[in-house]
Amino acid sequence: MMNEAIRRLEDIARLIRIDIVTMIHKAGDGHPGAALSAADIVTALYFHAMNIDPAYPDKKDRDRFILSKGHGCPALYAALARKGYFPHADLVRLRSLDCHLQGHPDMNKTPGVDFTSGSLGNGIAIGLGMILAGRVGGCDYFTYVVTGDGEIQEGIVWEAAMSAKKYKVGRLIVFVDNNGIQSGGPVDQVSGLNPILPKWEAFGWHCQEIDGHDFGQILHAVENAKANMEQPSLILAHTVKGQGVPFMIGDNSWHKRVPTVEEYREAMRVLGGPCS
Amino acid sequence: MTQLGNTRVAFIETLTEIAEQDPRAALVCADSVLVIKGKAFAEKHPDRFFDVGIAEQNAVACAAGMAACGLVPFVATYAGFITMRACEQVRTFVAYPGLSVKLVGANGGISAGEREGVTHQFFEDLGIMRTIPGITVVVPADDSQVRHATHAIYRTPGPAYMRIGSGRDPVVDCDDVPFELGKVRVLLDHGRDIVLFANGFVVNRALQAAEVLRQGGIRPLVVDVHTLKPLDRQAIVKILDETGAAVTVEDHNIIGGLGSAIAELSVEECPAAIARVGLRDTYPRSGEPDALLDFYHMSVADIVQAAKTAIRKRDRGSQA
Repeated sequence: MMNEAIRRLEDIARLIRIDIVTMIHKAGDGHPGAALSAADIVTALYFHAMNIDPAYPDKKDRDRFILSKGHGCPALYAALARKGYFPHADLVRLRSLDCHLQGHPDMNKTPGVDFTSGSLGNGIAIGLGMILAGRVGGCDYFTYVVTGDGEIQEGIVWEAAMSAKKYKVGRLIVFVDNNGIQSGGPVDQVSGLNPILPKWEAFGWHCQEIDGHDFGQILHAVENAKANMEQPSLILAHTVKGQGVPFMIGDNSWHKRVPTVEEYREAMRVLGGPCS
Repeated sequence: MTQLGNTRVAFIETLTEIAEQDPRAALVCADSVLVIKGKAFAEKHPDRFFDVGIAEQNAVACAAGMAACGLVPFVATYAGFITMRACEQVRTFVAYPGLSVKLVGANGGISAGEREGVTHQFFEDLGIMRTIPGITVVVPADDSQVRHATHAIYRTPGPAYMRIGSGRDPVVDCDDVPFELGKVRVLLDHGRDIVLFANGFVVNRALQAAEVLRQGGIRPLVVDVHTLKPLDRQAIVKILDETGAAVTVEDHNIIGGLGSAIAELSVEECPAAIARVGLRDTYPRSGEPDALLDFYHMSVADIVQAAKTAIRKRDRGSQA
C-alpha cells in the first residue's frame, strides 16, 4: 500500500516538475532550480500529508502551508493547480500583469496560498503565529513551512526558533530544503551556516535528517514530527538544486534562468512531458 | 504645572476591556510587557498574551500569522523597534496582505523618549509608517485620546499604527471635542487668522501658543490632526482655504510627519503659507521632556514665531 502511495507521489512530482519547467519557459521568468529542489516535499505535503480540501480553501481547521522560500513558488503553483485551486492553464501566465500568479506567492491573489512570502526568513515566525492562533481558537491544525538553507541565515529565523521552543508548538513542522546553494553560490562559501542540524537541536527542536527526494523518508519524517507534540519539528531535507533536470544540476545559473526552446525540449524529454 | 497622564496604561486598560468582549483580541510583546504596562492584560487574559522575547521582527511576523488565522493581535513595544527594526515585516506581511495587526509604539517623539537618549527617542516612526500603503496612522494627544484611538483602530479592519508615550504624558483639556478616526478635531476657534495643526504630546503647546497669539491680536484656530493617515483632506483643505496660513506642530522630524502631510496636501489642493515646527532633521540628546522640546525649537515661543512668519508670508503673497 505504502509503495503504491509512493509511486503515485513520484508520478505527481514528475508532472509538477514538467509544470515548473514549462511555466518558466513559457512565462519567460522565474527560479527553476529552487522550485525543483522543493518539488518532492511540496508534493508529499499537498498530495498526502496535509488536511486540506480545495473545495473549501478557507476552512478554519485546515492545515496551513507557507513556502518561506517564496522564489520556489512554481512548485507551489503547480501543486495548487493540480489540486484544483485554480485552472491549470493559468500556470503559463506566471508573472504577467493579468495573472493572479505573482512573482512570489500572494495570499490575497492566488487561491490556496495560505500566506504571502518572498522576502526570506519570515515563514517560521508566521507559522508560529498561526499555531498560536489555532490554540486560542481551539483549532488543531498543523502548519508546514518550507524554508531554504541559505534563508536560515536571516536573524528572524532564530528569533522564531526560540519562541517556538518556548511555546512548545508541536504542530509547527519546518522543512529545510537543503540544496546547498544560494543566490551567490554554495552556502559554505557565502556563510558560516553549516552544520545546520546541531543548531536546531541546540535551539530545542525535534530534529530529523532525510533525503528530500525520497517520498518514503519524507512521509515517515512527517509522521515522526506529528507524533511529537512537545517540540516544534525541523526536518533537514537534503536536496539537489535542479533535481529532475540533469543539465540544471550543478549549474547555479539555474537559480534564476529561463530555459531556451532547446533546453525546454531536453527537459521535457527527460521528464517525459509533452513539448508544446 | 502640566497635569500628566499615562498613555501606556490607557492603552493596556482599553485593550484589556476589549479582550473581555472579543475573544480574538491578543497582545504580543517583545520583552516589552513591563514597558507597556502589559501585566494587567497578561493576568486577565493569559491565553492571549504572547511574549516572543527581544525579537521585534519575530513579534510582527508572528502577529501576522495570528491575524491570518482569525486573531486581532496588538503588537506593543518601543516605537522605533516596530517601525524601523521590523519595518519590512510591517510592510510586507502586515500591510501588504491587509491584515488586522495593530502596532502600538511607545516613546513616540523626543519628549517621550526623554532621558534615554537617541536610541530610545523615536521621531521617524510616523514618516516611515505613512509611506507604507494601507496603514492607518494615529497620533493621540493624551491618555484619554489613546483610549478612543485604541477602540477605533480595533474596530477598523486592517493594519494600524498608534503612537503612545513615556507614561508621563501631558493631559490636554479638550475631552469635550469628540474623537473620530480619520476626522480632525477643532480644539480652539478664535478665528481664521491662522491655523495651528498639531498632534501628539505637543498639542498643549499649540494651545498655549494660540493663547499668546490671541493676546497679541491674532485670532488662531487649533486643530488636532490625530489621524495622520488617512488624512482628513476635506476638512484640512477647507481650513487652509479660510486661513491661507498654517503652522504644523509635532514632536517628530519635520520630514515625513504632520508637516509633510499638510504641506503635500496644500501644494496639491490649496496653496498656503506654511511653517513647520518639529525636530529640524537632527539627532536630539537626553534631557527633561519640556526642556528638550524647548531646546529643539518646539517651544511655545517657536510656535508663536512660526505663526507670525506664516502670516507675514501669506500677506506678502496676497499683496504681490
